[in-house]
Amino acid sequence: MRATVDSGALLELAWAAPVAALIVVVAWGLVVVGTARAGEARRDGRSVRAALHVAMAGVGATLFVAAIVVGLIITSDKG
Amino acid sequence: MEADVILIIVVATALAFDFTNGFHDTANAVATSISTRALAPKTAVTLSAILNFAGAFISIKVAATVAGGIVDSDLVTTTVIFAGLIGAITWNLVTWYFGLPSSSSHALIGGVVGSAFAASGADAIFGGGLLDKVIVPALVAPIVAFLTAGACILITYRMVGRLRPGSVNRGYRVGQIASASLLSLSHGTNDAQKTMGIITLALIAHGTLEGPSPDPPFWVIFSAATAIALGTYTGGWRIIRTMGSRIYKMDPAQGFAAQGGGAAVLLTASHLGFPLSTTHSITGAVLGAGAAKRLSAVRWGLAGNILVAWVLTLPAAAAVGAVTYGVSRIFGDGALGPLLIAVSLVMLIAAMFGKRLRQGPPIAAPAPGEA
Repeated sequence: MRATVDSGALLELAWAAPVAALIVVVAWGLVVVGTARAGEARRDGRSVRAALHVAMAGVGATLFVAAIVVGLIITSDKG
Repeated sequence: MEADVILIIVVATALAFDFTNGFHDTANAVATSISTRALAPKTAVTLSAILNFAGAFISIKVAATVAGGIVDSDLVTTTVIFAGLIGAITWNLVTWYFGLPSSSSHALIGGVVGSAFAASGADAIFGGGLLDKVIVPALVAPIVAFLTAGACILITYRMVGRLRPGSVNRGYRVGQIASASLLSLSHGTNDAQKTMGIITLALIAHGTLEGPSPDPPFWVIFSAATAIALGTYTGGWRIIRTMGSRIYKMDPAQGFAAQGGGAAVLLTASHLGFPLSTTHSITGAVLGAGAAKRLSAVRWGLAGNILVAWVLTLPAAAAVGAVTYGVSRIFGDGALGPLLIAVSLVMLIAAMFGKRLRQGPPIAAPAPGEA
């Protein structure tokens, strides 16, 4: 029995997968936090603060959509 | 004439496997979304079925054989493929009955390994390939996904810990719809191709298709997409219940961390050319997201049962594949053996499904404010 496990790919997976996952989670976290904080700020009448939080949610949403697009590209490439 | 009958039986059995693959793996994409009420059960399986169907058309780079590099392809006949499929279908049905998530790909590989072993002996099996493509990924997937999802949920709680639970839950439910959709699409692309590959191989062996690696005909792509979508729509509720609510009671943030983390692991691995089992990755991620919040919240006994099912997948499917091949050979080289076995299996499935499939209602949604 001769195994040809690609240890390089394995090592790369060990750090790249958590990094990819953390990007996804932080991106959506920004959307959730930004949206919630913006709502609170609007209720308190602080429009500048609300706008900043909306921008933060926007950055998160952009990152998240980008991650989904990368996922779609990988999906269509595999096989 | 005899060859035509065998071809029809193999194609029908491959589509039957595809169907079981669909309903067995529905849980991977939708279990967490259903249990956190991100999606209603019927909506979740309908969405997943549509995306599985669409996913099957995304790529037609049909894998030459799912057991390529594991079994000597020169020794694979239509009867070996048929017996392997029976082994995989049987294992999928057994694990579904007990509500245990297990890898359909590993079941298929196990079935083909067993039937090839019965047909040609140990020389037909490449041990190194088995280690590379089954054993190492089976160890790596759950561990990486467990740790990744654990880290994800800790960071998530850190980010949203001071917010009102209502807005946090709403936010993560929306995120889960996106992650469930991506997983469903990816599943359709990846898993429907296994069936396309098997049918294409059978068509080559029959002489209908020619060339070293011909593209599958449209009817093969369409029928594989339809079978996996129908299976997904049927919903393997027992496994959905296990992954969504029996391992532990998850909140929407945990559901998102499990799905998002699991999907990231799967797609990163796929990008690196190191494909992992969806079932192993998502189950590992579900466990990680639960354990990181509170170790005692996870039902480790159930997790142990799932682990046992994973360990047994290859040998059990191989044993059924080998026995099926042996029984088939009793009736000679012709179509009679596969035909009798296929009819017996259809009757068994009809008996099991007719009664049991509808017995598993959608899992109970948590009470308002509970999730």
